[in-house]
Amino acid sequence: MSHRFALGFRRWWPYYLMMAPGLIFFLVWHYFPIWEAKMAFEQVRIIPPNIWVGLKHFQTLFSSPVFYTVLANTLIISAMKIIFVFPIPILVALLLNEVRSGRLRKFVQSAIYLPHFLSWVVIAGIFIALLSPSDGAVNQITGFFGAKPTSYMTDGFATRWVLVISEIWRSAGWDSLLYLAAIIGIDQSLYEAAELDGANRWQKIWHVTIPGIVPTIATLFILNMGMFLSADLNQVINFLNDVNRGQIDILDTYVYRLGLRTGEYSLATAAGLFKAVLGMAMILAAHFVSKRLTGKGVW
Amino acid sequence: MAATTHPAAAEAPVRGTAIRRTPLERLEYAIIISTLLLMVVLTVQPILNLVAMSLSDPSRVAGMSGLTIIPEGFSLDVWMLLLQHPLVQSGILNSILITGAGTLIGVMGTALMAWGLSRPHLPGRRLIFVLVLVTIVFEPGIIPDYFLMKRMGLLDTYWSVILYKAVNAWYLIILVRFFEEIPEELLEAAELDGANAFQIFFQVVLPLARPALATIALFYLVFHWNEFFRAMIYLNDQGKWPLQVVLRQFVVEGDKLAIVGANNAANNIGVAQINLKALKAGMIIMTILPILAIYPLILKFFTKGTMSGALKG
Repeated sequence: MSHRFALGFRRWWPYYLMMAPGLIFFLVWHYFPIWEAKMAFEQVRIIPPNIWVGLKHFQTLFSSPVFYTVLANTLIISAMKIIFVFPIPILVALLLNEVRSGRLRKFVQSAIYLPHFLSWVVIAGIFIALLSPSDGAVNQITGFFGAKPTSYMTDGFATRWVLVISEIWRSAGWDSLLYLAAIIGIDQSLYEAAELDGANRWQKIWHVTIPGIVPTIATLFILNMGMFLSADLNQVINFLNDVNRGQIDILDTYVYRLGLRTGEYSLATAAGLFKAVLGMAMILAAHFVSKRLTGKGVW
Repeated sequence: MAATTHPAAAEAPVRGTAIRRTPLERLEYAIIISTLLLMVVLTVQPILNLVAMSLSDPSRVAGMSGLTIIPEGFSLDVWMLLLQHPLVQSGILNSILITGAGTLIGVMGTALMAWGLSRPHLPGRRLIFVLVLVTIVFEPGIIPDYFLMKRMGLLDTYWSVILYKAVNAWYLIILVRFFEEIPEELLEAAELDGANAFQIFFQVVLPLARPALATIALFYLVFHWNEFFRAMIYLNDQGKWPLQVVLRQFVVEGDKLAIVGANNAANNIGVAQINLKALKAGMIIMTILPILAIYPLILKFFTKGTMSGALKG
């Protein structure tokens, strides 16, 4: 046994040495925080050690009305995104696939992929300018049809739609790439057979293309469901203000404010853990359901 | 059967030459193309509008429409003032430093680790994979992360953002898959020539992996350039802020003083006289510029990387 170990070591030590930096990154940056999360069960004291208080912070959290507002907002925004954002890239891919000129398709793709590579700070900046009540493009257009200027960023219900639309603006183009890849993989002879049967454009889309990408749609849908509790911190935090908070404050922004603005470390960590554990359950469920149904998982 | 009246029945024999389209088909095609072109306009116009504002004569920006893409007059005043601003100057340097160091460390760490993980007989391979996958599934949140930084004394240092999750689990998996496909014969040949494990990695594997490494490098580059949240919470010192945080402070938080400066604002001199809208527009475009500069590369490598990563998923 020890002989085998020595042989293994002689063969493999260079590989472990090369992996060491990466492994250390993972252990420090991902596993220490898991250990630090025990703070959720402690009273944090300025002079250590902290005192173990069990589930006290979770009780405080679950009896706080703000927590339920924030949870509801998270679920509502996620649901809105699944319903209104998820289908768009599929439609975009179907449209792109109909374009006969390769040059035109490339041109369209290059333009609509761009927002995916912009930060949410930039996108929020662009949308705040677009939606400006005084001279934003949106209010100019609606004003042309006689509507009064609307301030979309100060009405939380409207801001939810801003979240949905800015998400479409950012990801509809890029996400269509995955579906396009699936469409390219469809057996061409199916189209030829459909043409022989006299199928028109819509019949070919309906009977050949869509069935061909259903597995991809299913996989991505299930994986999206797995992310249901993260309504995207990076996005929301840039659209959040004191006026629209009631409708768009989500779990992550709540944790951020509670912990890093008001210094309620333990309570914030408890809220974060609540999300982490539930989120883990959902991602794992999504992974195994997806693996079973479509053969593809999260990893 | 209705086959005799079916339009395809007449066309079928000349399938190869059936390019002649009915007016209805042409209309459909026109609608499809117009929809896509409309998407292009909706994507690009808001950005071009900001470009136009930042290049306009500052005195004429106030009345400018959000719909136009043509500058009102022409002036570089906005850009000159922004580039002279200390927060913008330090922001540019900080962003370059963080992105450069983060990308370099990220690519090296990821490649070295992926190489080990791609060897099918490496002892402990499964365990390490599980360790990596756990981090994708379970994230304890920002507060424990913050305390980790504090405990290591990294708060308010560049390292806090450069090293934060320096090796990305997804990029690691993409590289592992790429390395797994390197033909075994090549490696054996090198081994027979007397190359050791390090020489094989640096002289055989890395040159072969150049496209994959370029893809990963671009992933890290875009990630680090666009990162703002960690920088915002870890860096208190304004002088260390990357461009994204400066932009956020100014455009999203609407902190006019951050960009105009209290002194200028009070005496209405310098930057304070320029229309705020124009300054914001210029700031947004400045932050996008590096992404636009490498966009052709992004299109080339990201598309492939994402497709192969997704298909093998």
